[in-house]
Amino acid sequence: MKPSRTFRHGGIIVNPISEWDQRERVENAFLPNGAVILLKQHAGRQARCVVRRGEYVREGMVIGRADGPLSANVHSSIPGVVRDIRVVALPEGGHAEAVVVALEGSFDRLGRREERYLWTTSGRNEILATLRDKGVVDTEAPGFPLFDLLGESRDIDLLIINAVECEPYLKAESCILRDRASEVMEGIAILQKILTPRRTLVATSRDRQPLLVESQESLSPVENVVLDPKYPQDMPAQLLAAIDGAHGRKGHNATIIKPSTAYAAYEAITHAMPMVERYVSVGGGAIKRPMVLKARIGTRIGDLIEECGGFRNPPVRLVLRGAMRGHSVYDLDTPITKTSSSVIALAAEEVGSQRRSSCIRCGRCRSICPERLDPDMLFRFVERGMIDRAIATGLRLCTACGACGYICPSRVPLVAAFSSELRNLEAPLSEPTGAKR
Amino acid sequence: MKRGKALSMGNAPFAFDKRTSSSLMWGTSAALLPAVAWGLYCFGLRALFAIAASILGALVGETVAGGLRKRFSLLDGSAFLTGLLVGMAMPPGVSPYIPALASLFAVSVVKGAFGGLGANWMNPALAGIAFSLLNWPEEMGAWSVPRHLENLSGLSGATPLAYCRAHAVAASGGAGPMDILTSSGVKFTYTDSSMTDFLNQCLFSRLGADLPGGYVDLFIGNKPGSLGELSALLILASSILILSRKMIRWEIPASIIGTFALLTWIFGGLSYGRDFFSGDILFSLLSGSFLLVAFFMATDPVTSPSSRSGMLIYGFGIGLLVFVLRSFGASAEGSAFAVILMNCCVPALAKLDAATSLRRAARAASEAIGVGE
Repeated sequence: MKPSRTFRHGGIIVNPISEWDQRERVENAFLPNGAVILLKQHAGRQARCVVRRGEYVREGMVIGRADGPLSANVHSSIPGVVRDIRVVALPEGGHAEAVVVALEGSFDRLGRREERYLWTTSGRNEILATLRDKGVVDTEAPGFPLFDLLGESRDIDLLIINAVECEPYLKAESCILRDRASEVMEGIAILQKILTPRRTLVATSRDRQPLLVESQESLSPVENVVLDPKYPQDMPAQLLAAIDGAHGRKGHNATIIKPSTAYAAYEAITHAMPMVERYVSVGGGAIKRPMVLKARIGTRIGDLIEECGGFRNPPVRLVLRGAMRGHSVYDLDTPITKTSSSVIALAAEEVGSQRRSSCIRCGRCRSICPERLDPDMLFRFVERGMIDRAIATGLRLCTACGACGYICPSRVPLVAAFSSELRNLEAPLSEPTGAKR
Repeated sequence: MKRGKALSMGNAPFAFDKRTSSSLMWGTSAALLPAVAWGLYCFGLRALFAIAASILGALVGETVAGGLRKRFSLLDGSAFLTGLLVGMAMPPGVSPYIPALASLFAVSVVKGAFGGLGANWMNPALAGIAFSLLNWPEEMGAWSVPRHLENLSGLSGATPLAYCRAHAVAASGGAGPMDILTSSGVKFTYTDSSMTDFLNQCLFSRLGADLPGGYVDLFIGNKPGSLGELSALLILASSILILSRKMIRWEIPASIIGTFALLTWIFGGLSYGRDFFSGDILFSLLSGSFLLVAFFMATDPVTSPSSRSGMLIYGFGIGLLVFVLRSFGASAEGSAFAVILMNCCVPALAKLDAATSLRRAARAASEAIGVGE
């Protein structure tokens, strides 16, 4: 029997999973007239604001300084005047300060010939310091700064480039790997220099074929691993399990990085470019022309949607960061952050009936939970306030991947209950994306 | 500012499987229609009355029970399905008040009184069937012969299963159930004899086997019996459909049928004066309501376990009990009571599952801590 190249326990096939098209469009978004730049786009504390109202800022100028561990510098993505510094609500909950910049003056970098810095002669600490300086964070929520993510690890077994996009509507990582392969490869080389991994793997999904990278002379070799599509394969535990399955090995320490993060590292190191833009998948049934846009941080999601032709039919839901694990927003003024991988506008027929009915104990949630939990039982404990029992049966192991919520025929709000309870517990067992094993 | 008219907020996930609980209920009901249609063909209008009365009773029961809880749940399909299943278990000539009362009892008391769909611990349809079997044993035992077989069959007032059971003690010396039927003067249809000949010539002769007459009639449904359980062929076809669409899990029916077939093979011959390992598996599987119960009633998600191991144990228990009840019970038909008895064990099986997941979570948590250090 052919070994299946995916993780073993649970998992679901999310529809429409295979909507990937080789000719997927990628475009540069228009520059925004104004940008709302959040000072908290990373895992740690909000950055300290270093500009005042009325001050002129240049493109790429620091407007927020990192404040403590897991915090990162924030740069202005456009040149202009600071119109306002106000507190806004974050899509994921909570509040943070945002700097509102109105476009004015000229771009220092845009449209000019890019400088190119030689990094191969720089030391590890120098590269890490540059990454910190340029505010490079992991492009996936909650946005761990690369300085913290990579600084601790060295001589690891595996560096895994995670291009497994298994959620519907997410295409940015695949597009980056397709269109910016050489840049991503150089980013990988930079990461290799910091981490000195024994092996480097690029994991892609079979339904996004062919997305194979070629090793270049100057780098230590990069291997392609093609995995069978299954959700949530992009999560650290499942990705490692899938790769273990493909290679028949177990127990290694690995660092997992998305192609977009490697690309941001490349921009920061070779072009001294702060993290002021990112690739965003704009999609969903309510969008007229779904595509991937390279947008400045702080752009309104409404602007991006407009650039995709606006709405085809009225959206019932606006979602940031993916339909399975993202957050719903109600405001088209919500800005893009370093971790906004996608903007999704869902049409009524995609969302379907939301009416909750009673649990019929069909056991579907149990059979698909990738962490082998019993979501129905956990939910009953949480609903009755028996938190101790819920923790004893594994509530803390829940990664809020959303698979049980997807499959539940009674639309029981399983994931909502678990994630709010996990937030209360502040999950001491959760680890950064580059989980070590 | 362009804003959607009714943007709704909420928590992830925002994508869902198309399947809902009510689509499962309606889908299962639809899958049963071929078997019902065969019943209507066999018994005509009086069968239609029985089924309609049963469904009506269930819908009234749901309206009343739902109304008392101030919840409108008529459209979720579960009451319709219960009514349909109760109706399918009725003998064709039954007075309509019996199925109506049975499904009224099933939906309002067995399901509604415990809090509606998802909260009941006993399968409502089977409880309704048991209710009518216990209340009106004579009416429920009045089987009639399908219209197109009236001038053929020697069986008039009994299903093949009941007839063989009644005559099994008298007969001895190795006569199996089918031999009893044949020797009592039951004639099989032309379809049966031609199909049996065909199968024997093309298939079984090459395997060195010989299929005696009668099984094809049993399989197709040319026999007296209740409205919906006649045709094993149609029930199996529907089962394959709902299994392939993953509307039910395979573990429960597989475990029931496997256990029951094994026990029948080993011990089934004894009541006919035969040796061990001589039971007639085919006859036992194809007669009575066994297949309908195994695929459509025992698999009711609400009253069956949620974990794979629980499902296998549950199915094993049902298979065992069906065999015991059919061999030693008061009536020839034991499937309904077997499932009800195993329904009582589901909470205990859930406790087992809870203990298992507790252990698993503790192990996983200790692994996670061990790695963090």
